[in-house]
Amino acid sequence: MGLETSFLHMRLQSPLLVASGPASHDVNQVRLAEEQKIGGIVLKTACSDAYAHMRFWPRPRYKLLDWDKQVGGRSKNFTLYSYEQGYSGTLQEYWDFISACKQHAHVPVIGSIFAGEAKDWEDLARHVEDSGADAVELDISSPHRPGSLDFETTFVAAIKAVVEAVKIPVLVKIAAGPDVQHQSIVAEACGASAVTLCNRIRGFDVDVETQRPILHGYFAGIGGPWSKYYVFRHLAGSAQVIKIPICATGGIMSGEDVIKCVLLGATAVQILSVIMVNGWESIARINNEVLEYMERKGIATLEEIRGNALKNMTHPDEIIRWSGEPKKGPRNVWNAH
Amino acid sequence: MSGTPTKYPGLNPIPPDFVREHPPLAEVVEDLCIACDRCPPICFFDALIMEDRPKHRYRRTAVVIADNCTGCGLCFEACPVDAIIWVPDTSHVGIERHPMTQPREEDHDL
Repeated sequence: MGLETSFLHMRLQSPLLVASGPASHDVNQVRLAEEQKIGGIVLKTACSDAYAHMRFWPRPRYKLLDWDKQVGGRSKNFTLYSYEQGYSGTLQEYWDFISACKQHAHVPVIGSIFAGEAKDWEDLARHVEDSGADAVELDISSPHRPGSLDFETTFVAAIKAVVEAVKIPVLVKIAAGPDVQHQSIVAEACGASAVTLCNRIRGFDVDVETQRPILHGYFAGIGGPWSKYYVFRHLAGSAQVIKIPICATGGIMSGEDVIKCVLLGATAVQILSVIMVNGWESIARINNEVLEYMERKGIATLEEIRGNALKNMTHPDEIIRWSGEPKKGPRNVWNAH
Repeated sequence: MSGTPTKYPGLNPIPPDFVREHPPLAEVVEDLCIACDRCPPICFFDALIMEDRPKHRYRRTAVVIADNCTGCGLCFEACPVDAIIWVPDTSHVGIERHPMTQPREEDHDL
């Protein structure tokens, strides 16, 4: 019995990955994550030169809303409101960063990129591969992206270009929305090796005292434990229509959440905000919770239960509805009692 | 609007030109710090440490290492007693700024 997981030809010691963000912008964080038995690390997203301003972070850039502020890593509720944007160094510094991580890491390291033009995506992906990364994640749904880039034109071209250009596996990170299932199908058709569901979406909040939007007055990426429910929903939607592996992410707080993702067809699970709020120890805690479940259920590997919950999903047409005669209650009689 | 109590009291006393001229940096008001140890673990930039202060009522206090602080705001969120405040980061004075980080007229306070 163990947590070992095979994901895109990589052997992971745990299905948990650190998601792209502030817990993977620094080579020393690789050691912190490995000490907790992480399966792999997705590095902070680097932006192409066209988006160089995204390397300059606003200050401050985080707010923790509705936080229960438990100590000792026991927080269960919060909303992380973030406008952090991309990797803070130049592209050359990012390639060096990948090399340094690869040099010291004993677990797979996945590069993450964001660009506009297809040729920029391709160029960045080539460099990520040359720097030694085990895979590359295309952050096509960054909640911090400027303006609006169209999936059907910009991103489809980008995925195709990158898949053509590199030999390492290509992950496509898709944000929650009405098109997740369609975008997963398109990503698979374009040759992506896996999809990551779901990225943070943009939210907004207002301070009623000052009557202004909080932080910088603009939309920010939001996430938190509550977001796992739409992640589960999109996992269920996509896992039934695509064959490539799925990496789940968004609001995962506990081993139980990880099990739910696996039952809905996910192969690996990315976590981040739980590390930010509850500390690096969360990784080991979640690993242990998954192991406890496997022991209790007599499961040798997570592969055995992958997608099990999908088998029991009903089609809306099959939902049993009560078809008896109407109840006799005085439903339209005012003040009957 | 200064003086109005809000959910995020520490953010209000910043005058508008504060952000335009200098980015904010976290600092611990040592007299207010209750040495609860919540801020060092939430910092992703190794910018917060606990230091001994024999004369402090809790014998210890959190301290911000200004060189590491990126002004992200997480410690500010974590502090239960609002002992973390924003101070101007003057380390950028004289350094060439990216065009997108130049002070702009329409920039507003936090």
